[in-house]
Amino acid sequence: MAGQQKALLFGVAAAVRLLLFTAFPSLPTLLDGRVEVSTPVSSFKRLQEGLFLYTHNVSPYDGGVYHQAPLLLPLFSFLPNPLSHPFATNVLFTLVDLLSASALAQVADSGQAAVTRLFKSSRKDLKWSSVAIAAGFLFNPFTLATCIARSPSSLTNLFILTAMAKASQGASFTFLLALSFASYLAMHPLLLFPPLLVLLYDARATKSKSAPNPIVFTAVHSVGLAAVIGALLGVSAVLTGSWDFLASTYGVRLLLPDLTPNVGLWWYFFTEMFDSFREFFLGVFWLHVVSYMPGLTIRLRKQPLFVAATLTGIFAIFVPYPSIADAGLYLSLVPLFRHLFPLMRYTFLALANTMYASFLGPAFYHLWIYAGSGNANFFYAITLVWSLGLSIIVGDSLYAALRDELDVERPELRGKEVKRI
Amino acid sequence: MALISTILALRRDARILKVPPYLSAFLILVGVAWLLVLPLDEYARNTYVSENALLPGQVHTYFTGSEHNVFRAYRHEVATLDQWSVEDRSRRLKDMFSESNLKVASQKYTYHVSGRNISNQNVYAVLQGPRADATEAIVLMAAWKNMDDAINYSGVALVLALARYFKRWSLWSKDIIFLIPGDSTSGSQAWVDAYHNAHDPLTIESLSIKSGALQGAVAVDYPAGPWGHRYDKLHIVYDGTNGQLPNLDLFNTAVSIAAGQMGISCTLQRMFSHADTYRDRLQTIFRGMLSQGLGHATGPHSAFIPYHVDAITLVTVGDGWHDEMSLGRAVESIFRSLNNLLEHLHQSFFFYLLLEAKKFVSIGTYLPSAMLIAASFSIMAIAKWVESGRPPKPPNPASTKPTTTPSPSEKDTTTPEPPSPELPMVVAKIGAETTLLPTSSLEITERSLFFPLAFVLSTHFLSLLPLYTFNNLPQAHLRTTFFLAANLTPILPLLTAFLLRRLAPSRPSAQEITLIQCFSLLFLGMILSTLATLNFSLSFFIGVLCSPLSFVRMTRNYVASGAMFLGLAVLNPVLVVQVASQVGGVGVLEVLLKAAEGWHVWGLWTQVVVWLVWWPAWFVGSVVVALGFF
Repeated sequence: MAGQQKALLFGVAAAVRLLLFTAFPSLPTLLDGRVEVSTPVSSFKRLQEGLFLYTHNVSPYDGGVYHQAPLLLPLFSFLPNPLSHPFATNVLFTLVDLLSASALAQVADSGQAAVTRLFKSSRKDLKWSSVAIAAGFLFNPFTLATCIARSPSSLTNLFILTAMAKASQGASFTFLLALSFASYLAMHPLLLFPPLLVLLYDARATKSKSAPNPIVFTAVHSVGLAAVIGALLGVSAVLTGSWDFLASTYGVRLLLPDLTPNVGLWWYFFTEMFDSFREFFLGVFWLHVVSYMPGLTIRLRKQPLFVAATLTGIFAIFVPYPSIADAGLYLSLVPLFRHLFPLMRYTFLALANTMYASFLGPAFYHLWIYAGSGNANFFYAITLVWSLGLSIIVGDSLYAALRDELDVERPELRGKEVKRI
Repeated sequence: MALISTILALRRDARILKVPPYLSAFLILVGVAWLLVLPLDEYARNTYVSENALLPGQVHTYFTGSEHNVFRAYRHEVATLDQWSVEDRSRRLKDMFSESNLKVASQKYTYHVSGRNISNQNVYAVLQGPRADATEAIVLMAAWKNMDDAINYSGVALVLALARYFKRWSLWSKDIIFLIPGDSTSGSQAWVDAYHNAHDPLTIESLSIKSGALQGAVAVDYPAGPWGHRYDKLHIVYDGTNGQLPNLDLFNTAVSIAAGQMGISCTLQRMFSHADTYRDRLQTIFRGMLSQGLGHATGPHSAFIPYHVDAITLVTVGDGWHDEMSLGRAVESIFRSLNNLLEHLHQSFFFYLLLEAKKFVSIGTYLPSAMLIAASFSIMAIAKWVESGRPPKPPNPASTKPTTTPSPSEKDTTTPEPPSPELPMVVAKIGAETTLLPTSSLEITERSLFFPLAFVLSTHFLSLLPLYTFNNLPQAHLRTTFFLAANLTPILPLLTAFLLRRLAPSRPSAQEITLIQCFSLLFLGMILSTLATLNFSLSFFIGVLCSPLSFVRMTRNYVASGAMFLGLAVLNPVLVVQVASQVGGVGVLEVLLKAAEGWHVWGLWTQVVVWLVWWPAWFVGSVVVALGFF
């Protein structure tokens, strides 16, 4: 029954995607041109530029346009030219989305969201089926737009979701491989390593009944991760002939040289900044993003999957080049924590806010860029609202998770008002 | 913190659910009343020129004397062209431009709309500014035929005479392009599209010569015949496609030059006699909003505005004592002002409502009215959401306090209490009567989102069908299809409601109906507030016309249902379009033809709002009411 449902869901999702690709042939280019969908580090157009240089034996980074990982180039150079024969590329991105959804379904099936080794939510019976959660991912308009825009972010999302799935199943090797690919493609997923390692440890400990030594476990996996990422970087260096790609890929993400507008909070801030303060604030902004990881991992160590999901939400708000692909990933992970919904207080507000922002954002961008009757402040204001909406979801779900833990630890406080001090 | 907890405590109160309909109605009333006070002196401001570089009316104009003879000669020459074929006319116009030593070119264009062809030729000439580096240009144009389909003899002659006159000046620091579009809307659209390489080269010829970025455009509409006609006032037309407006500075410059320097009084929005009373000001605002809301092209200038080129059309109206030379001098002075510009017009307002030529209301003052109306839908959507999460009969407020009941109620009353270990104990202790309460509240408050969401989304999706149909039907079938739509629209909700009840007797439960309304209103509020930033007037009108949707509900009272359904049926989009076009004195067919032309040629999206926003919202509301009948 569930298998049939899943097959039907995947079939419909693939059909919708291929239908959109074929019925509206100009839609991918249109969406790829939107700043909300594609950023300098995740644009399919820029990938094509890199691909052109690569196939003509010029370093893809010489143009200063391509900022994505080198290994994407051989992958896409196998496919026929997307301008004349887009079908193969379209099928690839459809497949990527289906694989991501299947990974998400595996995460949901593992049940790690509500019941972990050290913690059992009192509302653990309240959950959605994995098919429903996969449907939430596949028919999320943000995911759909990312897929139609053929943004390489969907590859990053695939690897993040696979890493989560493998960690929750306790499969060390595939976990390391998936997380390394995700970190290799987008760098910031590396921050997911500690919470997902805890998740992996929990899954392994539950499976084998005898917990492995945590120090050895951490050391082995850290070395493993470093080895896989090192290998990927090494292959990239061989492929491009030098280590220059590091500056054009991770350097761009770290130092923000391209201030093309996006839905994040960095670009406007850094357009306004005096050059002498730039390094300082780059440090502060990155420190801010990174600082969530240790805090959340330590405080919520009993619910590592929740930490990882929340971190994807933090990424969707605070990384230098976020897009709706990141928000789509986070919003698809939230339904895993259905048991927290009764404790959340601002769901409608946050969702209405996000929806308003996703309508007003393009309108204000139009007023700024095309109509000329608005200015950059219009769009930035709406990205603030967008980030506010996502922050409300992140904050509210964090509150709910903490309250859930409190309910288990102190059952006598259930249903009583609590005040945060 | 105390305030937040007070508010949080307040939302548990059952009385709070009674407030939103009144609040929503109040917001609509305030929104409409807001607009009515705008014409008062306290809210309107005097216009002023914001951009210092413009210096309107600070130069002496020399287009007089013997230029008058040149102009008359051109006018007679132009008058002979009206019987010629388009090809010959274009060739002759090109010759006349090239006799003034200008670079000349022409452009053929053809549009296929509603099964007919719109095809003509544009002629244009480029004056290379002696002090210019070909990076910027300003446009002077006179369409061969004006908006009333009259041949623009004197306008075209004036452009020819001014071209010859401007060529002799050495002070131009921008290129000047003289353009004679074949007709007032499609011609200038084809030209400006091709100028920005946004045209379809199969049907619209590319431009062979170009200049720099366009900084402004002024169109002249003066259809007086070969023997001239003295006019009374200048009617300044400023509405662009989709309700976008040119920078107010351009309008102010024209008014200040015409009225201040030349002594020609200016008028707008066809208010040819404006007594500056409250009534006249309100009427001007209303006409301005109507024109903006429809979003149609109002003159040759309209096509330029979406490309961020500020443009206006000067139309001569009435019988008076101003002659063609004063119009020519006004144009000369406007061009001298535009010539001074150091950067694109950006200082002044892009969003404004004009009350008369020298009074306006800025966006900060008027926007709240459309936003309040849009907010009224969002408030009702939130209220419906909260309502859908409550048991049908609101519980006694005392029982929601956690301390007084043995069963622990959740902080969030809108979401269900999962079956926890304590619940069965409550059942065992208190007995049958009280055990029903938790189970019933559990059943009701679990929201089933799928059906309402699918229903609302598919309604919006299916309305693509009429949008596509009306944009692409040939002219011969438009009228019959429209009457078919007009008859089907009130019947469809009844049919849908009947089928829903017949196919699944209990399917749209009370909660699902509330949720359907919730999603529909949420979507409507969201779109209208977005639209208010792009096209204030359209958002305002649609908001007012949709306002009953906030208050209709499903009821088993047939009289109330009948009254509500009748009210909605009267306000259905198709009927409103039909009645409005009859009141406006244009046939439905013409409206439909213009809409289709707008869609294919001008990039108009008013019909998208009508079919994909207004119609589905109306349909959902009507289905909800109609469900009460079955």
